[in-house]
This record gives sequence, structure tokens and C-alpha cells, in this order.
Amino acid sequence: MDQSRKHELIRTAREWFENRGWSPFPFQEEAWNAYFDGMDGLVNAPTGSGKTYSLVIPVMLGAVREERNKKPELKAIWITPIKALAKEIFLAAERAAEGLGLDWTVALRTGDTSAKDRQKLRTSPPDLLITTPESLHLMLAQKNYPKFFRSLEAIICDEWHELLGSKRGVQMELAISRLKGICPALKVWGISATIGNMDIAMEALLGADYSSRATTMIRADIKKQIEVVSVLPDELDKLPWAGHLGANLIDKVVPIIKNSTSTLIFTNTRSFAEIWYQKLLARAPELAGVIAMHHGSISRELRDWVEDALHEAKLKAVVCTSSLDLGVDFRPVETIIQVGSPKGVARFMQRAGRSGHQPGALSRIYFVPTHSLELIESAALREAVRTGLVEDRIPYIRSFDVLAQYLVTLAVSDGFRPAEIFREVKSTFSYNSISEEEWQWMLRFITTGGQALTAYDEYRKVEVEEGIYKVTERRIALRHRLSIGTIVSDSSIKVKYLSGKYIGTIEEWFISRLSPGDVFWFAGRNLELIRIKDMTAQVRNSKRKSGKVPSWQGGRMPLSSQMSKMLRDKLHDIAVGNRTGYDPELEFLEPLTELQRRRSHLPDRNEFLVECFESREGHHVVMYPFEGRLVHEGIAALVAHRIAAITPITFSIAMNDYGFELLSDQEIPVMEALETNVLGTENLYQDIQASINSVEMARRRFRDIAAIAGLVFKGYPGRQIKDRHLQSSSQLFFEVFHDYDPENLLLVQAYEEVMDFQLEEARMRKALERINRQKIIVKYPDKPTPFAFPIMVDRLSRDKLTSEKLEDRIRKMKLQFDD
Amino acid sequence: MAEITLENETLELYAEKAVFWKQRKALLLADLHLGKVNHFRRAGIPVSSRPNDQNLERLIDLIRKTRPERVLFLGDLFHSAYNSEWEVFGQTLSYFPEISFELILGNHDVMSDYQYLKHRLVLHKEPIEEGPFILSHEPLGQQPGKYNLAGHIHPGVRLTGKGRQRLVLPCFHFGQETGILPAFGVFTGLYKMPVKSRDRIFVVAENEVLSLK
Repeated sequence: MDQSRKHELIRTAREWFENRGWSPFPFQEEAWNAYFDGMDGLVNAPTGSGKTYSLVIPVMLGAVREERNKKPELKAIWITPIKALAKEIFLAAERAAEGLGLDWTVALRTGDTSAKDRQKLRTSPPDLLITTPESLHLMLAQKNYPKFFRSLEAIICDEWHELLGSKRGVQMELAISRLKGICPALKVWGISATIGNMDIAMEALLGADYSSRATTMIRADIKKQIEVVSVLPDELDKLPWAGHLGANLIDKVVPIIKNSTSTLIFTNTRSFAEIWYQKLLARAPELAGVIAMHHGSISRELRDWVEDALHEAKLKAVVCTSSLDLGVDFRPVETIIQVGSPKGVARFMQRAGRSGHQPGALSRIYFVPTHSLELIESAALREAVRTGLVEDRIPYIRSFDVLAQYLVTLAVSDGFRPAEIFREVKSTFSYNSISEEEWQWMLRFITTGGQALTAYDEYRKVEVEEGIYKVTERRIALRHRLSIGTIVSDSSIKVKYLSGKYIGTIEEWFISRLSPGDVFWFAGRNLELIRIKDMTAQVRNSKRKSGKVPSWQGGRMPLSSQMSKMLRDKLHDIAVGNRTGYDPELEFLEPLTELQRRRSHLPDRNEFLVECFESREGHHVVMYPFEGRLVHEGIAALVAHRIAAITPITFSIAMNDYGFELLSDQEIPVMEALETNVLGTENLYQDIQASINSVEMARRRFRDIAAIAGLVFKGYPGRQIKDRHLQSSSQLFFEVFHDYDPENLLLVQAYEEVMDFQLEEARMRKALERINRQKIIVKYPDKPTPFAFPIMVDRLSRDKLTSEKLEDRIRKMKLQFDD
Repeated sequence: MAEITLENETLELYAEKAVFWKQRKALLLADLHLGKVNHFRRAGIPVSSRPNDQNLERLIDLIRKTRPERVLFLGDLFHSAYNSEWEVFGQTLSYFPEISFELILGNHDVMSDYQYLKHRLVLHKEPIEEGPFILSHEPLGQQPGKYNLAGHIHPGVRLTGKGRQRLVLPCFHFGQETGILPAFGVFTGLYKMPVKSRDRIFVVAENEVLSLK
């Protein structure tokens, strides 16, 4: 674009801003300039900073003018990770179009869009389409999709940091590679909050063009002032040593709510949100009607109501989960309460930023600890905020499951020619290391199921006709369309009133444990189960109280490596008696840390603590690397594997963010193990490989991979699988692949994901090198210590590892009788 | 191999997940689910077809080892509608012309009679009585004067031990009225059965059958 035209367009934009009484931020003008100069790039700006206008405006102004009477064609796509944000962007875009005097049409397409509206979008496309990664892939699964996209000029990925660390990011990389294939001049831009690895984020978005085209990163540099305040009980004894709920501090939370116009209370899981809401109502009945709840399993309609009411300042408080992390600005929100450790700085800052929206305003966030040691995390968070530390988001690479799904998507629509698609796929960040052999394996996988076809094989999926890979069978095409996406959830069933009014979804396993007449608490109400019919639980309101609260599977977040470092620093301060002067939590905790010191030891940064003791359960060895749960899972498996090589032994392994426990029925030769350098880095790679084979990590990873690659078809949420004979679990697939098809790339991927994401071999090696420089301190406490207790009582996600013969183990074990 | 005596009859329990009834020279197998992987493959679900071979090799091994006069399949012999695996199975049966192969129909056995008769299977559409036993696919509950041997459940049990040890293993599950065989087929899964203190449980631990009584 020539300079004079560019200046004219920027003037137009400025005028509109001025008419509204705004003035553009420097980063907005910078983005307009870069866009008009033909660059690709990434805008680094937080929520509520005007980031939408940094790109909506140049996309609209810069678009090629249409000749009169020409049929409208799609010019730009705006990708948003969550549907709730789509509405906000829609309104902003409409406002901009009107203000700039452009007759642009804007439309939404999400999972909620009706079939009729989707059809209408196809025949008369809008100028700007706001959609999600999944919906974009569904459009790639439509016949003649290249025609639909052919005049596309730009694609914007909003909240790119959110997509980046998930397989949805890979999905976007693939979709963009295809759209570039159709429209070579396509401009690609992203918007991202600050993460530790902004350059990688941009490279993942732009793929090979990152180094071959003109690109730029635009930083908004808007600093927020955040104050972290821990909610402390009157006495330390009031806090439990282990726990996740934090409800015993409710009396301290109620006044905070009452003293603020509007408060968001973030909990780490949906069931905690339910319980907190229930307990708040019980403790402060006068809040009924002015507090509400918001989480991902509640119906869209109810959530919309809550969001609107928040906007209009009608609510005093909302108990929510990460469902309100992103997006929409709620200006009336004054106060944020975080229940339980958020485990990461970025997540914490994001939440803190949901209040105090005026530039320069101080955001105050209250931290409610759920157990005593968590208070150290609060101090660590404060330090991280103070020093401006943020985490990396690691993009997925070589996700063969997503690739398999994508190739079938293309085969379902118009079919594809491998040479062309291979070039595009290889140009993405995720797959730039894919080899010709792996590509051939993928093609075999979708056409023959990954093996040589025999004469009688009836394998049906993608067929090859004149060099074009396509799906011809309608049944397969339909099933594929229903399973597009990379978010894997357990099979869920709908909860509806008898009148048919939809309340939300609950996982099937929870409902299956209830009988008609049972009462449970969901979406903030007591519901009585009437019957289960067609994957729907019919309910009615009940006056009876009930203790049953549904829980949803879903991972607990591990402590990030940045947070772990901060945590170790704070522990060191405690151990050597440094006082920062601004961490009241640490002084408050003193009686507990002194008890730890008395019973065992309080390690400083040059020491590594090992505790050994016996209990009714057996023999325990607890080690404390303070590296976060994921790394602990890896180190624990490694140590268990190495000890198991000394003697036949079976371990049950537990871990939390502070350390890990090895538990055995027999004595653990811990001194011998330490002398033989059980924490050493020699043969690390081989030993890790061997140890992950013997525990469940890869098997757990495979669950999502199997679903994404189309092995396990769960049907739509709430819709039943028609063909019962096709039911199977990812576990069975894992076993069959493991036993009969070990070269299968999906299986290989499960192990690679364990290495890349879970163990983070590099992080593990660093941790072990650090430990090797530390002095090992072995203690034999009489009783479990404050450090050990929370690990021992954690019943979730235990691993096991054994070097005993199965027969020998069985002889020592017992049946559990049910009578 | 392990042994159990029921109603004065000796049943040998094999780690291949089969029962051999010594006096009657009858081999009892439940829930083979043959052709299951083919059914998946036909629907475009890419799973290796190698488990098929493993199923049949194990069947042949058992026949060689026990030399039965009759082989009784307690239902769910074939996973679903016809596919080519049925012919491979038929060919296997034809190696043993002296043996009577019989099927008590299970809920998965949905092919037309013709298919079964073609490979000279004797078809039983109802449970059959043999000596003190009544053989069925689904467990029948209490049967006056008879002990029921059945399949259908794919039984497994959970074992626990000191140090929070846990194991789930396939098993032969003999209750007061009913004995349940483990599922013979690969790629079939387990159901954790409740266990009563008077039940007799034999777990399949790799290549061994171990009594837990």
C-alpha cells in the first residue's frame, strides 16, 4: 500500500476514535501501520486494553473495495478460543464498521450456531467471520470450501497464548497452512497476552513465513499494579495441613464480598465452585439473589445471564472457574478472590487483571489458602508479580493425532493431493520436523489403518482415486464431522428440568452412581433425580439438603517451573531466617515451619531433604525437590526404577508440587540407593525411557490421542452412540497397539508427549543437576512431617512401579470382599 | 493350570482363559469376540488386525494340549455382523474334524444360522444341561439342582496389599450357584466383579492360574 493511502486510512481511524472521545494507544497505531505495510505479526496486549481495535480497524479499512453488485465474499476471519468472547468482538467490529462508514457485514459461527444459520453463512458469507478453531475445521470439511475462502485477506488469532499451549493451537497452524494454500497473500496476525516465549509464539503462528516474510511484534507495554493479600485465619491451627477446598476461611471472605461493589471468586475446579457457592449462601443467606455461579458445565443461557448481570452491576459476587479467566470486561468488578493456589503466575495475573480496569488502577487480589503450606506459594506469587516474571507456553509439536484428524477432514470435503498438502503441513511450526517416512505412515494410517492391506481386509476410511485422497462413505464422513476437535471430555449427560429446560452437563460416571430420588447439588441448586432417559438426566428442584456435589475429571494444574523457583527462594528465606518485610504469610507460618524443623529438617537452598519412616501403610521415603508435580512424577518414577533394579520391590508413588513419596510394603534400601547415586544424571535418558514404560504416564496421554485421532468415538455430548459394537476404551487400544503395533506413530506420540510436556527431560535434568550440587540430608522422623503429610494423603494420580514377579505380588495381596 | 472340583466333576482352569472338563473331555470357552478388530477396521477405526491371529493360535494350542471331544463356546463367539475373520475361524475348525464345536448363542452372536452351520457348529439357542451343570451365556441366577457355568461378564477382580498396592486381573469366578469364565478374546476388557467371602476366585496372572482361596 502506498504511503499516502496509508496515512489517509490512519487519519480516518483516528478521526473515528476522536469522535468517540478516545485517543489511540501507541501500540494500536503501530499495529495499523504494520498491517498497512503488509506485514504479518503478533500484538502483545492484555485483555481490556483495546487490542481488538488494533487489528479490526486495519483489516476493515485495508480490505480491497468490492465492485458494485458483486456477490459478497468472505474477507477476514477472527478466531477466538471461547464462544463467550465472540459476542464481545462481534459488537466491537459492528461498532467499528459503522463508525468508519463501511458497510461490512459481521457474523458469528460457533458450536451454538444453528444448522440453518450455518447454511445461510455458506451461501451468503459475511465480510468478517468470527469463529473458533473447531468451527473453522468444520468449514474445511465442507464441499467446495476453497471457493468459500478464496477472497480471504486476513486471519486474526485472538488470545493466541491460550491456543498455543494446547492442541487447538496445532489445529490453527494446520488451518492457516491450508488457507495460505488457497490465498497465498493471506495476512496472518495474532493477539497474545504476555508469556515468557513470545518469539516462539509468533513463530508457531506464522510457520515458515516467520523467517521468509516481513513480520513484527507489537508490544502494548501496559503495566498493571497488582497487590497480593493473603486471607489469614486468626490462628494457624485453623488451617489444615492438607486440603484443596479452603472453606474454613469463609467467615473471612464474606466481609470482603460485602465491602466491595462486585467480586469474582475464582476456584480451581467446577466442584469447588459449586461447594463454595453453597457454603456462601449457607453462611450469608442475605446474599441470596445477589451472588451467582459460573463454570463451563452450566448451560450457555445461565452463563449469559450471569455475564450480563455482572456487566450491569447487579451482582455482588460470582463464584467461578477459569471460565471467566478470559475475555469480556466486567467493569463493575472491584475485587478478585483466588481460592487455592493458581499454580502459575500468568493465570494469577490474568485473574488479578479482571478488576480495576481503569488504566493505572491498582488491582487487589485476595488469596485464600486451602492448606497451610500454600501460604508459601502466596508469597512466591507476590515475588513473581513484583519481578514481572511470566511462564512460557510450550507449543505442541508432532501431534500425529491432530494431523490424522485434519487429513481426514480434507478427505471428507473435496479430497486432497498428498504432495500439495505435505508441503503445507511441513511449513507449519508443529510439523516442520516430519519426515517423508512419517508422512507416508500417516497416509497409510488413514487409508489402511496403518498396516499392509490383505486381500480380505474390509478397512474403510480414506480411499485413493486418481491420486486424490477422499472419503466416499457418508457414514464415515458424518462420524468424522461429529468428532472434529481436540478437546476431549468424558462422556457427559445433559441435566434438564421435567419441563425440558436445560441446566447444564454432568459427567456420566457421577450420574451413574445416583438412583432416582437422590438429591444432588448442581448449578447452585438442589436437584432431585427423576429419571435418566436418552442421555438426559431429568430433575426437579428439591427442598432436601444433599451432600453430593458432582465432580468433573480434569487435571489439577501443576506448579510452573517459574513458580517452583520462587517457592524454593521463599523456602530458603524461611530456613535461614531472612525476612523480606512484605510477606506476612511467612511469619504467620512460623509455628509450622518450626515443627518441620523439629520433627525433621527445614532445608535451605544448598540442601536436599529425604525423609524415611514407617507407618501402618508400610515403608515411606519422601524426597523434596520442590520442582512441581510433573517433574516430580518423572523423578519419582526414575528413582523408583533405579531402586527396583537393586532388589525386587513394588512401589506406590504419590507426588505434589513440593515432593514425592515412594511407598512400599517392604523396607526400601534408601541408603544403598543414595550411595549408588540414585539421583544421578548418568544414563538419564535410558533410565527415563525405562521408567516411563513401567508407569502409567504414556497410557494416560494416550486417552486424548485416541479420541483426537478418531479411535474412540464418543458421539456428541448428550447423544448416544448408535453402534454399541463399536464401543471401546482408549485403554484397550493402548494395550493392543503396545502388544501388536509398537511402531504406531500415535503410540510413539504418547511417549513423546510424556517426554516433552510431562517430564520435560530438560527441566528434569536441570533439577537433578541442582540436587547433585546439594547436600543430601536423610532424616528418620517419628511421625509424618508437615511437608510429608499433604503428599501422603493425596489419593489421586498414584503411580506404581514394580520389579517383583507378578506371582510373588499376588501371594502377598488380598481380595476385597463385598459382604 | 489349576483345578477345581464342582459337583464331583474336575474342571481344569487354563491360563489361556479356558476350562477343561476332564470327565466329559469338553473344552469350555466364553466371549471370544472374534472379528472385533475387523468390525472396527470396517468402520474406519485403525486398529491392528493382529489380535485375531493371537486368538486363534491360543485356541489351537488349547485343543492340542487338552485333546477335547467337544468344544463348547459359551456365547459371544463372534463380535458382530459377518466379516472375513469368520472364514479364517471356519478354516481353523476344519483342521479338527473329529471334534464337535458347539455354540450357545450370546447377545453378540447376530449372524444368520447359515453362517454357523456352514462351519458345522452345533447351535444351541437356549442354555443346555450337561451332567450337574447348566451352561449358558448370561448367568442364569439360581437353578434348582444345577450349577450354572456362564460367560458374558468378562470378570476381573481387584487385589489390594500393604503399601497401597492394587492389581486388577482377569479371573475365573466361582460363586455358590454360578461359575463365570474369563473372556477368552483379546481386546475385550474387564469388569470388576464383586466378590463374596465364600466365592472361589482363580486369577489369571500371565501364564499361571492362581487360586486365591
